[in-house]
Parts: sequence; structure tokens; C-alpha cells
Amino acid sequence: MKFAVIALRNLARNRRRTLLSLLIVAAGTIGTLLTAGFIRFSFEGLREAIIHGGIGQLEVVPRSDVAGGESSAERPGIPGMQDWQELRNGIEAMPHVLAAGAIVQFTGMLSKGERSAAVIAVANEPGRERRMRFEVKLRGGTGLPDAPPSDGEDAILLGTVLARSLGAEAGDLLTLLGITTDGTLNALDLRVAGLITTGLQDLDSRIVKMHLASAQRLLGTQNITSLVIGLDDTARTPEVQAELDRRLRGREPSLAIVDWKTRAPFYGQVESLYLGIFWFLGSVIFVLVCLSTSNTLMMSVMERVREIGTLLAIGTSRAQVAAIILLEALWLGLLGALAGDLLGIALVAAINGLGIQMPPPPGATGGIELRLATAPGDFAATVALMLVILGIAAAVPVGMSVRLRIADALRHV
Amino acid sequence: MSEPHAPRRPLDPESAPPIFEASGLRKRYRLGAFTIEALRGVDLVVTRGEFVVVAGPSGCGKTTLFNLLGALDGPDSGSVLFEGSDLGRQTSGERTLFLRRKVGFVFQSFNLIPVLTAYENVEYPLRIDGLGRAERRRRTEEALASVGLAGRMHQRPDQLSGGERQRVALARGLVHDPRVILADEPTANLDSTTGAEIVDLLARTNTERGTTFLIATHDPAVIERSPRRIRLLDGRVIADEGAGARRPGGVR
Ligand SMILES: Nc1ncnc2c1ncn2[C@@H]1O[C@H](COP(=O)(O)OP(=O)(O)O)[C@@H](O)[C@H]1O
Ligand SMILES: [Mg+2]
Repeated sequence: MKFAVIALRNLARNRRRTLLSLLIVAAGTIGTLLTAGFIRFSFEGLREAIIHGGIGQLEVVPRSDVAGGESSAERPGIPGMQDWQELRNGIEAMPHVLAAGAIVQFTGMLSKGERSAAVIAVANEPGRERRMRFEVKLRGGTGLPDAPPSDGEDAILLGTVLARSLGAEAGDLLTLLGITTDGTLNALDLRVAGLITTGLQDLDSRIVKMHLASAQRLLGTQNITSLVIGLDDTARTPEVQAELDRRLRGREPSLAIVDWKTRAPFYGQVESLYLGIFWFLGSVIFVLVCLSTSNTLMMSVMERVREIGTLLAIGTSRAQVAAIILLEALWLGLLGALAGDLLGIALVAAINGLGIQMPPPPGATGGIELRLATAPGDFAATVALMLVILGIAAAVPVGMSVRLRIADALRHV
Repeated sequence: MSEPHAPRRPLDPESAPPIFEASGLRKRYRLGAFTIEALRGVDLVVTRGEFVVVAGPSGCGKTTLFNLLGALDGPDSGSVLFEGSDLGRQTSGERTLFLRRKVGFVFQSFNLIPVLTAYENVEYPLRIDGLGRAERRRRTEEALASVGLAGRMHQRPDQLSGGERQRVALARGLVHDPRVILADEPTANLDSTTGAEIVDLLARTNTERGTTFLIATHDPAVIERSPRRIRLLDGRVIADEGAGARRPGGVR
């Protein structure tokens, strides 16, 4: 404890130099905080956009349909999930579950007059989608009504790119061809209610959406492809998934529970891209702070060679001398990081207050407002990080001080 | 002021091993192409309670000799026995304890720790030796009182005069009650009056506590005060005057 006091007083000897070191550590801390806040903002924004774009946090699907673990957008075929009503009621009674929406997904051929296009059709329950806080990004027209449409009143939403290539707009009557569960071809007339975007160019050229009842009418089945589950908090995903897994165990035919991350491999790619940026910036900060503080610590050891010789001559062990130098470094790390955290809090608040518009993340079509997402743990983490950096920075000065020969050190002027 | 009286530790110079028994000490320094022979075979015996001056011009090897006696450096050849045990055979842990407990240093330029107050400087050797708070306080205050500095103990070194600093340094050297104090030119940075006061203090400590003193100096005023004067020239002992004399003279 006494050594900590000596170390602190040693820092007060050259206030200008100490202040400079503290500034460097604080700047490194702020840099780390802002980078982490930006990365987390990007992750969270993308995550919520993906989830609320329609895939939900979890999906229950027949195990036979996810053999390859591929995302449901690629899944072909016939809706295979039977007797799902009771299961759905059970799921909707679970804590943190907002709703469980039935989905029928199929491929079909959509035509307007002479023009046709192969489409991916997603049929859902608009009321439940809203309860799950899913977003329908309308680009013209209106959304789907909540109530199941009566025969002859079927409505459809078209991806913007698809609508353009078909030359279709809201109010037009289109024909959708699909294959029924018994293998015959069936056709359904649907009126275009509106145009939508998924945020992904590729999907916008193929996607159509309709009410669950319309799809069931076209395909002649009460089966669904899957149940999509919306939660009140994405962080609860693992715990709800575990509970569901427990409940569905042993059920025949077997059902799989797939989380949003598995269904959106795109998220993983963006995540690793951003993490790469974070580690790169982090290492730059690490090296800069480490080198400059190491240099200052070295200078302060060089100036005190005779004093260190005296400490050794009167019985201070080399480990104790090392402790004094190391503690000086750790004080710099601690005080600098705390100052940086305080400034960082203010800066984050200021930046978030500005409402800066950000360009869209890779693959997405719309811009977003910058809101740095700092977590309370970041502040402790930056303090720990700076302590580690300063500990490493102290290595050379500590090594030098413990290797001093006492007689030489005492003659040093 | 004080008459020589019995030291606190009973001593029997005939049977107790000497404080220092140095034989054949040689030390060379290499400076580029040159080799400086700082000590060329020094033999020396110092018994417990002695007050010895090592005198000689600058560069004759006094500091080198003190470094070897105080285990701050090792000889190229020869040996130093401290109370019968060979300093050259110490492990580094033993050396640290030796420096911490058996010997005290007083330097020409005081070498106080600038960030510590006078009190803290004196207390420091007790702290690193792990003594309890009450014991530290008692010994520190006693040491400061014995050098006449009880009133200024919360000043930092830069607020003290040269004489006061050397008193603090002496108190720091004494506080752990070492067997011997090695004082290397303790008066060289002081004016003559202050220097004389410091020598008084050293002599009185020797008589009152029985602490053995070796003082390196080329100051005639100091040399003439000492009962035993070892003259060093070019790394050799050229005279050992008054060997066996027990007490410093002229203690007022
Ligand atoms: N580290 C060293 N490197 C080179 N020469 C040294 C070193 N230390 C002492 N010397 C030389 O050794 C001789 C003895 O020095 P020293 O013991 O300091 O003498 P004194 O203390 O009597 O002045 C001098 O010539 C000095 O220059
Ligand atoms: Mg000298």
C-alpha cells in the first residue's frame, strides 16, 4: 500500500509529463469506447432489422425441412407442419413470447397479362405480425388487412423490383399459379394491395406476401411451413429456445427450433466484418498507447537511476522496486481510463444527441440514425484494458530498473 | 557532552568475530581500452564498536572499498567477511536482508527519497522490513530525536537545509539499529561548521549506541577527530594509524 502512495507521488513530480500520459490513455479509452459503441450500434440495428423484417427470434419447423440448416427463404416444397394450432397456443402462453405467427412459404408463378415471374410467396397473419412488432416497409399502396379475406377478395403485396419488372401497381389484378399438396396446378386471382421492400435488393425481385388464408386456399391445405415466434427481448432468445426445446422433445413428427442467427447467415458475415474493424482499430490504439506510455515511464526511470540505487542500497528488494514502477504505470492506466470514461460518456451523449444520419449497412437499402450503443460493461472493460496496456508498457522500464547494478546506479548523476 | 560509556550490546572484541575482515581485495574498472585498478589488494580488519576513518585523495578507491564492504558490489578477487560470514557467498535474498538489517549507509549527497517526508524517509527501512506500526513510530521518532530533528519531521527533503538532510540520512541509516554504518564523504557537501556538527553526531552515536562507523573522507577536520585512520592511496592501504584505539576524540 505504501508503494502505491510512493508511486502516486512520483507521478506528481513531473506533472506536465504525467498529464500528457493521462491524456494519451484517456484518448485511447475514448477511442475504444466510441468504436465499441459504434460496432454495437451496427450489430443491434442490423439484428433488430433482420428479426423484425419477418423472421422473428425463433422459428419452429419440421425437422425434415431443415436437414441442411439452410434459411427458410431457400426452402422449397409443400407446407409440412400439421396440427399446429394447439402447439401455437402453448407457445403464445410462454413468458417473453409476443406471438407465434403461422407462415406458409411456397414458390409459384405470378403473371400480369403477358408477363410472368417466378416468385417466393410468404403467407402470414398480419395481425400477429404486428404483435410481434414486425415491420412491413410499404413503398406504395396499403398493407394486408388483418382479417382473412373472403373468397374472391385475396390481396397481395409485391417486392418493389418485382412490381417494376411485371409492370404492376396497387389495384392491379394478378394471377398466381401454385402446386397444391396433391400435386395439381391451381390458380388464384389476387389484387395488388401495395409494394414492399425487404431491405435486400435480391429478395425484392422475387418476394410476394399474402394472407395465410389465401395461401391455404391456393394450395388446398391447412398445413403450414413454420411458426415464427416474436419475443419481447432478443436477449431472451437462448432461454426461450431452451424451454421450447424441452417442450418439443419426443414429439412426432419431430420439430426443429431455429434461431434468427442461423436463419440469417448474412448477419454473421457483417458481424465478422465489423469485428475485424474493431480489432484493427483496437490494436492501433493498443500499440500507440503502449509505446508512448512505455517511453514516458522509461524516461522517469532514467531520471531516477541514483534514487533507485539508493532504494536498493537500503534494502529494498528488486521485486519491490519493480512494484513501484509497475504501480506508477497502473496508476496512469487507472486514472487515464477513468478520465477517458467520463469524457466518453459525455461524448457519446453528445453524438447521440446530434442525430447523425448514417449510410445503409452493407446489403441494406435504407439509412439509419447513428446512436452509439455503449454498455455499462464497456467502462469497466476499458479500465481493465488500459491496466493491461500499461502493465505491458511497464515491462521494459521495470526490466531496466531491476537489472541496475547498485554501485553503478549510485554513481549515476 | 557525553562521556564514553558502555555500549548497549556487551562486546568482547577478543572473542566476537570482527565486523569486517577484508583480505586481498582487488577491483578493476574497464573504461573502453583502459583498465583502472581501483583497489590493488586491500586487507582490513574492523572490530565491533570501532570508529574508523578511511582517508585519501579523490580517486584513491574509498567509494569502491565501501561498496565492497557494504555488499553493493563484488570484488574481482579477495573476500569480505562480515561477522565471520562471506559476503561473496550471499544469495540475492540474503544480500537484501543484509542491507536491510545489518548495515546503514550515509552518502555524500544525502540520497533521500524526495517524495517522502523526513519522517517517512527514516521510517522507510522499517516498513520494507515489515515492522508493526507502533514499533515503527517509536523507532522513527527516537531516531529523529537522536539526530536533533524531532521538530522538522514532516518536511520534504527539498524544504530542509543540507545539514538537516544529512541528519535525516543518518537517522535513516540508524533507525534499524545496524551493526555498522558506512558513511561515504558525509561532510563533503556541507560547510565546515555543519560538517563538524555531523561528525559530532556520528561520534556521539558511536559512543552512545556502540554502532561501528567507517567514514570515507579527505576532510582533514574529520580525519583528525578519528581514533583510527586508514590511509588509502592508489588502491592500497599505505598506513593504518591508531589501530586498536577505541573512541573518537574531541566529542563535545
Ligand atoms: N564505474 C566505474 N567505471 C570506471 N571507473 C571507475 C568506476 N568507479 C570508479 N572508477 C574509478 O576508480 C577509481 C576509484 O574511484 P573511487 O572508488 O570512487 O574513489 P574515491 O571514492 O576515493 O574518490 C577512480 O579512478 C575512479 O575514476
Ligand atoms: Mg568517492
